[in-house]
Amino acid sequence: MDELKNNAPKLSEITKENPFGTPNHYFDDFSARLQVRMEAEAAPSVPRRSGIIHLLKPALGLAASFALIMMLVYVPLRIFTPDKINQVAEVTDTTDTNFLNIIEKIDEATFVALLNDSESENDLTDDDLALYVSANFSDYELFENLTSN
Amino acid sequence: MSDNDQHIIADLKDENKRNLAFHMLVKTYQERLYWHIRKMVLNHDDADDVLQNTFMKVWRNIDTFREESSLFTWLYRIATNESITFLNSKKKKNLLPLNDESEYLLENLMSDPYFEGDRIQMKLQEAIVRLPEKQRLVFNMKYFDEMKYDDMAEILNTSVGALKASYHHAVKKVEDYLKNNE
Repeated sequence: MDELKNNAPKLSEITKENPFGTPNHYFDDFSARLQVRMEAEAAPSVPRRSGIIHLLKPALGLAASFALIMMLVYVPLRIFTPDKINQVAEVTDTTDTNFLNIIEKIDEATFVALLNDSESENDLTDDDLALYVSANFSDYELFENLTSN
Repeated sequence: MSDNDQHIIADLKDENKRNLAFHMLVKTYQERLYWHIRKMVLNHDDADDVLQNTFMKVWRNIDTFREESSLFTWLYRIATNESITFLNSKKKKNLLPLNDESEYLLENLMSDPYFEGDRIQMKLQEAIVRLPEKQRLVFNMKYFDEMKYDDMAEILNTSVGALKASYHHAVKKVEDYLKNNE
């Protein structure tokens, strides 16, 4: 004590007392609270859910991820690609396939005959041409074309 | 080792008496360990957490107690380690430098509703908080608990000479703080 007085006079002036307090009955209750915690830790933890769902969970997750990625790629493509391109592609594909099917089914003689018929159809006579012009153009339009040429 | 301690240890090794013996051990040492921990962490709630952690560790490791040291020394060592672990975890959580917990401890002290000291006691605690961890531990054990250096050496696993030096430095720093902050 004398040593402290010599080395640390300020410190030795302070009354040596415990400045801390506790809630009322803290030490009376402590043992019971500790017991509760020990029992809680000793209790078996809740078993994990097992069964088919638990086994399939990773696979289902993977499948859902793929579906989501497909949706994210496919849906915007469907929305933002012009419809006509798709339709024309479809129509062209269908028409070509049908045409090839028909050609494969007919024999060579019939095919040549059809070819000749189609060529003869293209040979327009003057009468056919006059009929077409009178049906599709007015006199005024015809006159205008003639004067401009 | 006291007769009571020997009785507790013997019963702790008996499967049928273990629970009752542990209850006895808690009742015997809870206050002494609490005050030791409280002086380290300062706040009551933190001290309560650390005291519970200490006894949980004692319960889980009761089979490892080899009686090479006294029951009192073993318990104090666990309580000290738990206090240091607790403070380190708080430092990590609050992103404080590992060698400086004074900021956290000061806040802890100010916010503790169970601090009953006067202004000068608060100043003393502020001075103690600013000590390095080892010196703080040594100062509290020697100044407040008036523990023998031999017992402290066994608990802290350090030489008596090193402890005397630590205490000497701690007293000097506390004195300087009190002088400069009158």
